[in-house]
Parts: sequence; structure tokens; C-alpha cells
Amino acid sequence: MAQGSETGGAGTSARVDLTFVDRLVAELGRTPDQAIPILQAIQREYRYLPEEALAHVCRISAITPADLYGVATFYSQFRLRPAGRHTICVCHGTACHVKGAGLIQEALERHLGLPPGEDTDADGRFTVQKVACLGCCTLAPVVQIDGITYGHLAPDGVPKVIDDFLRLERQGYASPPSHSPQTRGGLTEPAVLPEVRVGVGSCCIAGGSQEVRRSLEQAVRELDAPVVVKPVGCVGMCHQTPLVEVVQGGKQTALYARVAPHDADAIVRRHFRPRGLLRTARSAILGALDRLLTDEASTPVTRYAIDVRDAPVCAFLGRQTRIATEYCGSLSPVDLEEYLAHQGFVALRQALRQASPEELIATVTRAGLRGRGGAGFPTGKKWAVVRAAAGETKYVVLNGDEGDPGAFMDRMILESYPYRVLEGMALAAYAVGAREGILYIRAEYPLAVERMREAIRRCEEAGFLGDQILGSDFSLRLRVMEGAGAFVCGEETALLESIEGRRGSPRLRPPYPAEKGLWGQPTCINNVETYAMVPWLVRHGAEQFARLGTATSKGTKVFALTGKVARGGLIEVPMGITIREIVEEIGGGIAGGRTFKAVQIGGPAGGCLPAALADTPVDYEALASAGAIMGSGGLVVMDDRDCMVEIARYFLEFTQGQSCGKCTFCRLGTRRMLEILERLCAGQGKPGDLEKLEQLAGQVKQGSLCGLGHTAPNPVLTTLRYFRAEYEAHLEGHCPAGRCKALIRYHVDEQCTGCTKCAQACPVDAIPLTPYQRHVIDAEKCTRCDVCRGICPAEAISVISK
Amino acid sequence: MPQLTIDGQLVEVPEGTSVLEAARHAGITIPTLCHRPGKPPLTSCFVCVVRVNGGARLLPSCATPVAEGMVVESETPEVHAARRTALELLLGDHLGDCVGPCQSTCPAHMDIPRMIRQIAAGQVREALITVKERIALPAVLGRICPELCEKACRRGQADAPVSICLLKRHVADLDLASGDPYRPECAPPSGKRVAIVGAGPAGLAAAYYLAQAGHACTLFDEHPLPGGMLQYGVPEALLPRDLLQAEIHLILRLGVEFQGGVRLGESLSLEELRARHDAVLIATGPTAPEAVRALGLEPGRQGIQVDRHTLATTLPGVYAAGAAVLPSRHAVRAVGDGRTAARAIHHYLSGSPEPARDRPFTVQMGRLQADELAPFLANASPEPRVSPTAEAAPPAPQEWGEPDPVAPPASGGLGGLSPDQAVRESRRCLHCDCHKQETCALRLHAIAYGARPNEYRGERRDYRVEQTHPETVYEPGKCIACGVCVQIATEAREELGLTFIGRGLNVRVAVPLNEALRQGLRRVALACADACPTAALRRKDDGPTPAPGEDTSRREG
Repeated sequence: MAQGSETGGAGTSARVDLTFVDRLVAELGRTPDQAIPILQAIQREYRYLPEEALAHVCRISAITPADLYGVATFYSQFRLRPAGRHTICVCHGTACHVKGAGLIQEALERHLGLPPGEDTDADGRFTVQKVACLGCCTLAPVVQIDGITYGHLAPDGVPKVIDDFLRLERQGYASPPSHSPQTRGGLTEPAVLPEVRVGVGSCCIAGGSQEVRRSLEQAVRELDAPVVVKPVGCVGMCHQTPLVEVVQGGKQTALYARVAPHDADAIVRRHFRPRGLLRTARSAILGALDRLLTDEASTPVTRYAIDVRDAPVCAFLGRQTRIATEYCGSLSPVDLEEYLAHQGFVALRQALRQASPEELIATVTRAGLRGRGGAGFPTGKKWAVVRAAAGETKYVVLNGDEGDPGAFMDRMILESYPYRVLEGMALAAYAVGAREGILYIRAEYPLAVERMREAIRRCEEAGFLGDQILGSDFSLRLRVMEGAGAFVCGEETALLESIEGRRGSPRLRPPYPAEKGLWGQPTCINNVETYAMVPWLVRHGAEQFARLGTATSKGTKVFALTGKVARGGLIEVPMGITIREIVEEIGGGIAGGRTFKAVQIGGPAGGCLPAALADTPVDYEALASAGAIMGSGGLVVMDDRDCMVEIARYFLEFTQGQSCGKCTFCRLGTRRMLEILERLCAGQGKPGDLEKLEQLAGQVKQGSLCGLGHTAPNPVLTTLRYFRAEYEAHLEGHCPAGRCKALIRYHVDEQCTGCTKCAQACPVDAIPLTPYQRHVIDAEKCTRCDVCRGICPAEAISVISK
Repeated sequence: MPQLTIDGQLVEVPEGTSVLEAARHAGITIPTLCHRPGKPPLTSCFVCVVRVNGGARLLPSCATPVAEGMVVESETPEVHAARRTALELLLGDHLGDCVGPCQSTCPAHMDIPRMIRQIAAGQVREALITVKERIALPAVLGRICPELCEKACRRGQADAPVSICLLKRHVADLDLASGDPYRPECAPPSGKRVAIVGAGPAGLAAAYYLAQAGHACTLFDEHPLPGGMLQYGVPEALLPRDLLQAEIHLILRLGVEFQGGVRLGESLSLEELRARHDAVLIATGPTAPEAVRALGLEPGRQGIQVDRHTLATTLPGVYAAGAAVLPSRHAVRAVGDGRTAARAIHHYLSGSPEPARDRPFTVQMGRLQADELAPFLANASPEPRVSPTAEAAPPAPQEWGEPDPVAPPASGGLGGLSPDQAVRESRRCLHCDCHKQETCALRLHAIAYGARPNEYRGERRDYRVEQTHPETVYEPGKCIACGVCVQIATEAREELGLTFIGRGLNVRVAVPLNEALRQGLRRVALACADACPTAALRRKDDGPTPAPGEDTSRREG
């Protein structure tokens, strides 16, 4: 019957080894909840899901064809037709979007000659995929080819990126380096040794920190200096990656930003002397390790040292308060010893020895901790409900399905502070009476998944997890489940469906998961950051936590600060700080001297607040009354060149694509809203469109089962509320920000020297080659790809409103 | 037992009852498309929403259990608006035609596919009744109709349209020649009097339907004979006057009075008419703005200004129809207008609320691609369009068993279809209209809630149909993804069953592993078809009455 296009052509391959499927099912299990892990393993093997393999799974397991096929077509990770040999992921996260991801996507499709509607080139070499967010927002716009990240791209750099990748492939570069967590060479090194710390969060790795680390290690080996090269979690200064910090007892700490591998030797030599004075220093000649560089046309990566006392760095770090990200930049992520040395598991030990579960819940309640996932439900209250709920078996679940484009707080916390998250979960489990738990982490975060798995293994070995933890009668088993690419699974009931092996369609609440959750049992689901807050809160006491923040919003909040801000990154700030303080003091204001226009807070469920409301404090209620939400912590700053109608369209395109498709209002209503926004951006708005959009937005908000549909209209409603004039301009065919392609054209002014660079670079021959004459752009042919403007040495090309 | 209030009514129902069920106890029917009584709620359609305790969100009543002291709003304008929007959103993504394109295009909205099925089944009298439900002068129009319906006929895309106009004429001619022409039942006299000014097609049609409703009608006309343009404008060669006479007689014999030689505004004033009648219909043909104003009415863009749906003028009790409102040469539009006005006047006289729109509710899928048309053609006779011949004249007219017989039309038979030709031609019909148009829950709720089918129309899907299942037909474009069939198949433990594939807007119901429907539904296909709230999944023998039963070519091999 329905031959969906995504299912066409699949399953004809005769090369499917069914014994592989047999082994897989035997290993993972035959129960329905194993559907997603089984599909993930099959896809890892074949790069898609061959139909014979699926049919065989149904034959040998308890999973029905209806369930398996329903799941296989629900999650975007799964493909039902063969993929090219290499996968190019084009990030369409908010930061990438505002920095031109669409143009990069088009340039790629053009360069690879993809037929319309196809994602794979004719030779089967490359498959181009849109991805929601790679979480390297500070390198935007970003593409990833088989795990190699290319950042700060421009459309004209696309051919070079492909060439560079093919060159690496010829040189034997097969697959991305293993993300396997590595620890420094032995825990026996005395802690007093000087350290060269290198960031290994995803942003830093994407910025090239693995190479830098190897170079540093080599430099240290060659110098034979008494120094430890130590991988540390995210420092949060993602705009400066890769970051290297040199810490020596009694000396000023030196911080180096944007370090390249060839800088390693110099850094090491500047601070350290060889162990044996006779040892000859060899100059380290480093090979072609620049594979993580931005494309060659862009600014080369330069190294410069920044002193922590420098004003910008002080401003960036100084306004921050660390709870979830405590010991930021100094902890080696999976080093348990080090976590222990930094008060790790003190809170758990304390609670197990001195506090009853009820007392622990009372502490969390008194502290005023509220859920950091977005809605802000009081954590203590939730725990109390789970504790009081009838049921032999109870669960703790970690919601690590952070999916907001432009947000990467949870990824950073999981990658950098895995033990803190586990300790928080253990405290929650103790409080609610759970003995079992699941960490549901989105598949797009492989490093977080690996580190959490490793951290669980080590905790079990060391007795922080498992049976009779720390000699008490409290036991807890935790395991990681990888998501499969569905934003809606961040909704807690959809997440539970997914863990149980089904399509991620939300369930109606009540009953809430706290009463009837996983497998029908009382379940405590909290967000990553919420759990990460708990150890500090228990150690320092409720009162100290509650001292931070506002009347109703206590403690701190982690934000991913991205967009048009001078210094983007991962920040943790006390509640109550204003948006202006974040943007101007921490973020250093707007980059490139443009004007601060708005801030998008809370991602697709949140809203766009205008610069005029920048004094709104970070507070659940204050943000809600302004039309936004606290959300999970995405904070995208926009300047005067960002179009608010287009931003609303972007977010709605995202949410409507992520709707599970169950409820009428969400499935169809968001689509019809998107069509109106698309019309407006194309200059084809009709009278009455704004009213219709507003009315439909209100009804979708009212008539949706889950949070996704309920909040999807928010970006539209807030932009309509604060930027209505911009909508009206679009109705009349103008885009004041000069962003909507159909409403702008490119213009060459008298600065033009007739150098023909633009004419040569134009991919659609819209500029005749007229040497020494002012060039002219054929508006009919022009696709507004922005290549000419980027390449013009005289800055003679500008965008003008039609 | 919890007590709750629904729209101010106190209801007491057992614990665990849904609000939907509780409302039923209170005599309030909340519409739903995805809920089956006693089964776990699917909460997909959101047509059953209610507001609970004044909350900001609307909740699906099928899945909301009652609670003590709960306050539910169901029949409020706001809740109704949300239900209407839910229905409109579903309609906007629902690919099909409730009624055939021929019927939608016909200005009188005659149920052409039904007439054709009746002809094919040999039910000529029933076919005539179908025609006369909408067209008061079918033998006349069978000769002068512009055949707009045939321009919309999908068969025309393949070879030539079905000869609808001649089929209609065929049943009308047979009726006139039968000696016992069809005489509709008339309601007992209402005691109300209606003046109809202008005895052209609009006025005659209005009189025909008003008389059936029991109202005493008088037709006034400036000419000595009734018929208006039909009598005094159309050439005799096109429309034999004896035939016109005969068909008009069938209207007058219902008790309609005719007064010729009376001119409105001259020998007769509107004031007088209004004084002596309970309602007045102006069907005088094209009227100049000065003349309109002279009557004390508001001129519109081209004629008398009226309400688009009821044809009511600005004066209470005064209606206008036909060319008096909008100049048109199409008698069929005038005939349709006359019926619309008659309905509105009837509702006005009987004090009932505004009538539902005369136009049948329908979604439309527009022009089909060649590959989309193929499955329709596969079920119809491949014969070319029959051409009428002189020999194909209907049997000689017989004596009428009426007290005041009018000579049957002697000249009306030429160029018609023979009974055999009519049946053959009727089998060429593709039956584009929906087989569940009478029972489709989506359509019925949409009509009840006044949902507009094109309010939220989205990009059109491709039309596909799966007919290989022995008992059912599946049209995925009509599926509203309610999940009822998936639920039934799962309950029945069908080996393959059905599942949702895809996500978001692209979510579709399909058999897993790309298998055919007959593989997926081996046991409960009929149960699924019967539970389907639309015609997405239907029984092969589902269909509007009569089923195209005589049409063996539609049976699946």
C-alpha cells in the first residue's frame, strides 16, 4: 500500500547477512523494547535498514512488524534506502541558520549535482543530510563529513571542503578518530604536577582540540618535561576553541585560545624546561593535522594568548556562577579519582548516611529547585509524588534528549561532568525509592553517550552504583539508551514511549509519569541540568542554593549563548541576571558593530524578545509573562540583519517537521501556519494572512496534547507581538532586514573595479564577464547565494530591498 | 460517583467515565472521529475537545476522566470554533470528492451520479425523482441546458464526458410520455401565501418547491402565458412549446395559480403584494437599478441586492432570484436559484432558523493526472459516448390519467436516447463521488459545525487507490490518521496488521514492510472499513444508493 518515497528502492540487496541479525538479536534481546537498539545496530552495519533484515528481526523476536516498521519510519536517524559512502551533515541549528546554513546547503547540492528531491549524488559517493543541530554553534555555519567538522563556512568554500575531504580520504583517513574517552597516562601522577589542560568538549574537539592534545603530548614527550597534558571538559568559551590552559603551582595561569597543533611545541617550551638539561630539543614537525580547519578561504586559525585578567575574559567568566558546571575547565571528564578529589559523591555519601529520603526531598524543595528542561516544575514536589506513588518498582530517568536547535547545555554537562549527573541521579533515586534508571541521550551526542557509559562502568567498579552503594542498603542500576533522532522525545511521555521501544508519540497527562511512567510504574524524569544541580545543592544546603536567584527562580541556569554575539559559549549564570547583562557583559555585545535587535530564548518552544525588553530578568515567571519561556537554555542573539518573520518561519519549520503527527492541530495546523509564513517570506502574503496566522496559532496552542504542539506557536506569537510592523512590511513585499531572498536583490555599486571575480565565482552565470567595467547582476538568474558579495575585494556588492 | 457540570447541567456518572461519555448521559453529543466506545482513547482527531475548569487548554473529552466538581464547557462558541478548525484542518488534507465534480458544477446541484446509477439499475422513475429534487423543468433543460456538468465530467479527460444532459432528458421524456408523470407529495396547506413575480424558470421552480411545502403560490407575469424567456425567448426549434407547456402544467397542477398580464410596479405594486401575501419572490428577469430602487429595494452590483445564501432582499419577507439578481442566460441557474429561494422562504414562513446552504457540502480534488484517472477508468465501461439518433426517439406519448390533461408533447422526442443507449451511456460514469458521502463522519460533523472545506487547504497529495484487497478499497488520501484501523488490527492480532509510517504531516497508515493490504488485513478488514470515519478504507460494496450494482464492470476480479 503506501509506498512512501523514503521506502522506495530499499531492501533489494542480496548482501544482507541474516546471521548478523541473528547474532544481534541474541545479544540485544528479543523483547519489544529492544526495537530501537536493534535498528541502530543494523543501520551501523549497512548504513541503512535493508528490508530483509527488518523482516528477519520480526521473525526471530517478539517485535511485531507493525511496531518495528512504525519505529523505523518515525525516527530520523533511520533510513530505508541505501546511503552514499560518505555522509555530509549540514547543521541547521539556529546559530548555523542565522549564519547562512541554507546557503551552504544549496551550495553543496549544487556542487554535488544532486537531483531535486534526492539526498545522494549519482555516484553514490555523498549523502547530504540536514541535521537539527550538531551542537557546535560557535563554529557556525558547520558541516560534518563522516565526523570531520568544517566550521565558519561560506558558500564559495564548499568545493574546497569537498576537495579537502577527498584529499584526506586518499591519504588514508578512513573515519573520524575514536571519541573514546582517554585519560591522562595514569592516575599515579601526583596532583601537584603542572598541568597543560586542553578542552575536549564537542566544541573544542570540533575546533581541533584532539590534534592539539596529541601535539601537546608529543611536545611534552619530546621535551620530557614533568608536565601532565590533561583533557578537561568544556570551559564554555566556545568562541575561542580550542582552548589550552597552562596551570603551574604558584604561577599565573596562562590561557591560550584558538590553538593550532603547530602551536603546541611553542606553548610547552615557553612554560617548561626539559627534565634532563642535556636533552636536545627537536623541533616538532607536525604533519597534516589541520583537518579540522575551517576551509582555506576563511581566516586561518591563529593563536593568541589571552590573559585571564584581560577584561573580555573576565567579563565572560566573571559574571558566571558555577553549580552544574562547577570546576569548569579543570576536571578531566571521565576521571573518577579527580571527581572524588573535587568533592565528588560527597553529597551522596552525606545523604545515604545522614538523611532519610524524605529529608532529602525536603532539602530539594526548600532550595526551590525547578526543572531545568523548560517548564520549571518544582523538582522536590515531583520527587515527593514519585516517592508517595504506590508501586514496588520505581524508575529514575534522565532526559538527555536535548533537541532545541541552538542549544548544547546538556551535551556539555554530560560530556564534561558525567559523574555529577550520575550522582544527581543517584540522589534522586534514593529520594524517590528507585532501584533502576535509564539515561536517554540523543544519538547526535556520541561523545556524551560514550562518556556516560564509561562513567557508569567506573562507578559500578568503585561502588558508587550497583548494589549496596557506599555500604548502605541502597542499590541502583543505571544504563544508557540512545535516542534515534526525534525532537518530540524530549517530551517526557514521548521519551518513555521511546524507551519502551515505540514511536515517540506523547501520551495524555494525567496520569503524570511521576504516578504512572515507564512500564506503568512511578517514574522520576528530570533534565540533565536539574540532576547536575543536586549534588551542589545537597553539599551546600538548600539555603545557600536558595540565596541565588529571584523569589520564584532559584539557583543558576546554564545557557548556550550563540548567534550574533561577540563571545558565544556555554555560560552558567545566577537566576535574576538580565538578558542585557548576558548579551552585553558576558557576550561582549553584538559582533561586527551591528545593532542588537532581539534575543530568541527557549528555542522552538520559546519566543523572540526585542532588545527593548532586554532588562527582563532570567526568571521563569518574568520570561513567561513576556511571551517567552525559560526553556532548556538556548539563547540566540540576533542583530538588525535578522528577519523576525524568517526566524518565526525557521522555528515553525523545525517544529512542524518534528511533530509526531498524532494530533490534528499540531500535524496540520503547524503546517498551515508554516505555509502562511513561507508566503510572507516569499512576498506572496495575502490580506488576512496575519489574522489567520494569529488565530490558528492560538488554536494550535490550545488544542495540542503535548508540549511540542502547545508551544510550537510561541515563536510566531511573540514575533507577531513585538515585530508586527515587520510582518506588515512583508505583506507589502519588503523585508526590512534584507534577509528574505524573494524580497531582495544584489546590487553592484560604483566601488566595483571590474575585477571579474564575482563573475567567475557566480555559480549560475548571473554576472556577465566584463573586465574593467562595473559588473551587473541579472536579478532573474541570481539565486541570492551570496557568493559574489563574499568574494568581492572592493566590497562593492550589497543587498538591497526589492 | 463523581458529580460534574457540563454546560451548566449537573451530571453524575461512575468513576472512570470519560467526559465524552458523561456528556452523552446529559444528552449532549460531542463529536469524535477517532474514538470507539469502550476502547482506549487514541486522542488524535481533537474534534471532541472541551474546556475543563476554565483551563487555558482544550482537552480531548474522550480521554479526560470525570472528576468531582469538574466544570465542562462543550457547546460554547469558542469550543465550537476549535472543533470547526479541527474539522477544517482535516478537510484541507482530505483528498477526494464528497459529491462528483458534475454535481458540484451543476448550478442546480443535481445529484447526477445517483441519477446515473439509477438509470444503470433500470430505476427510471427513481432517477426522475432524483432529477426533480433539484430541477423542476428537466425535459426543458434537457434541451437547452449549457451542460456545465459535462464540462466538469472526468470522463471527458479520457475520451468524452458522459452524456449527462441527454440522460436527464431521457428520464424526463419517459416520464412525460408515461401517461402518469411523477407528481410529488405536497405537505398539508400551511395557510401561508406566497406571491411569485415572474413565471420564468426561477419563478416556476420556486413555485414547484413552495407548493410541495404546502404554501399557496400565485405566479404573476406580464405575459399571458407562463414560461418567461423559455416561452418568449428560446426558439421553438430548440424547445417545442407543447413540451414546455406540459412541464409547466406539472407545476401548476400542484395548486399553483397563474395570473398573466400583470406588471410589477405598474399594475401591481410591491406594497400591495406584501400586504396580501406572507412572502414575495421577485423573479422578473434583468432589472435596472432605477427599477430596483423604485420598488424600494437596494440595487446590487448587477441586479437586486440579496443575501448570497438565502436570496433575501433588504425588505423582510421579500426575496429575489434568477436574472433579477444576476443576469444569466443559463436557465439551469435560474431553476437552481428558484429552489434556493423556495427553501429560504419556506424557512422564513415556518419560523425555523436559516436553512443550511443549498449547495451540497463537498471537498474537491480538482483535475486528476492521467495516472490518477486510470483506476477510475478501470471501473467504467470503455464504450465511446453514444450519439443520439432520430430513431432513438422515446415511445409514443400516452394518455394522461389526469383530470385536466394537456396534450403530451408530440415533438419532443427527437435527438434523445433510447432506453438501451441510456443504460449503456450510464455505465460510462466513473462514479467520482464518494461512496460514503451519506455516512462519512468527517463530512457529517463538518456540515453540522459549518466547516469550510477550503479554509485550510494544503498542498494536494497524489491520488492513489489500492483495490487488490478482496473486500475493501483503500484511498490513503482520504485517511485522517485517526488510528482506529491500526487499533482494530492490533487488537485482532493480525499477523502483519497496520501501522503508522512516517512522522508529522507525512504520517500515513500502511501495512508494514511495504506489503499489500490483503496481507495486512486478513481477518478484520471489514471491521476496519466499518469503523473508518471517512471513506479512506471502505467495503467494496459501500456506496450511495443504489449501489452501482448492475454495473458488473465495477466488481473486482
